[in-house]
Amino acid sequence: MANLKEMRLRIVSVKSTQQVTRAMKMVSAAKLRKAQDAIIQIRPYAEKLHDILVNLVEQNGSSDFENKYAGHKEVKKVLIIAITSNRGLCGGFNANVVKKVEELLATTYADFYEKRMVDVIAIGKKGVDGLRAKNISVSGTLPQLYDGLQYSSAEVVAQDLMNSFSNGEYDRIDLVYNQFKNAAIQKLMVEQFLPVEIREEPTHIADTHHYFSNYIFEPSVQEIMETVIPKSLKIQFYKAILDSLASEHGARMTAMHKATDNASELVRALNLQYNKARQSAITGEILEIVSGANALQSS
Amino acid sequence: MHLEIITPEKRLFSGETELVKLPGTGGSFEVLMNHAPAISTLAEGKIKVKEPNGNVTYFEITGGVVEIKSNNIIVLVDSTGLV
Repeated sequence: MANLKEMRLRIVSVKSTQQVTRAMKMVSAAKLRKAQDAIIQIRPYAEKLHDILVNLVEQNGSSDFENKYAGHKEVKKVLIIAITSNRGLCGGFNANVVKKVEELLATTYADFYEKRMVDVIAIGKKGVDGLRAKNISVSGTLPQLYDGLQYSSAEVVAQDLMNSFSNGEYDRIDLVYNQFKNAAIQKLMVEQFLPVEIREEPTHIADTHHYFSNYIFEPSVQEIMETVIPKSLKIQFYKAILDSLASEHGARMTAMHKATDNASELVRALNLQYNKARQSAITGEILEIVSGANALQSS
Repeated sequence: MHLEIITPEKRLFSGETELVKLPGTGGSFEVLMNHAPAISTLAEGKIKVKEPNGNVTYFEITGGVVEIKSNNIIVLVDSTGLV
């Protein structure tokens, strides 16, 4: 049988693909651990900063505070930031973000979009490609952010975004990204970045509330707010990037794990088929020899 | 009293201290045991940390926020260098 050789080649090729996917899975697992560590590192800072912010708001009496990053005006122009990855082969990771942006443009921001009052910025090459494929114009892209991700580089980007809000270019900025739950699960989030929103967890306030009446504020609540709010925004942005990065590696790990499994399954099926074909070829040959011998004997 | 110095990237210091000197925006100040609860912003400068065993460490910062509450000091700093 001529296709025995073809099948053998096919098996070899599937096996080498499997090797690649297995290696990619390992690499992602290692990168995931690093990304996860970064999230764990930032958590105490983010939580503490949020606590201080909540205390300040409490002290202020109401959450209606004056700040250049707070929303007072009517929303006219919206900016959506889609956080994706630079590389593919990570399942639905990037497609989900693109789909969500598309959905936002069709529902929540449909009116703005018609009036061309929505801009989309994609962080990560795959997001740019995905959005362009859906005919959504991308006004900006920041693929270099992932090269050796650091707080200082994320901070600069966040500051730019905050400036474009405070000088009135945009009245609302949303982040669309994958939040990291665990290696297998990513939760797609749409988060309001600006205007600033301070979420107070009721349970948290209940047990600490009575401490705050005698706090000393240096220099003043207002001035502290002015330094803490930009900080918290930068942290929020950095955290979204870190979450997305960890999610990316998690998603790729899962995708590559599945690919490796599928390859094993394929190799198993191909081997079975190959052995069957080989067996029947041998049977055919024996049959020919035996019948040939019989023919000789009987003559 | 317990002190923690945290940057967005790592925890710089965590442990018991005797005295902490901080560069507040309104002027540098020291925190000793049983300090009143306070929140303050920090300017560029050095944080001096004296541990109970007499070790003195300095941290150079570019700015930050500190919260002092019931003998717990939490310093959130922007960026640092160990001096």
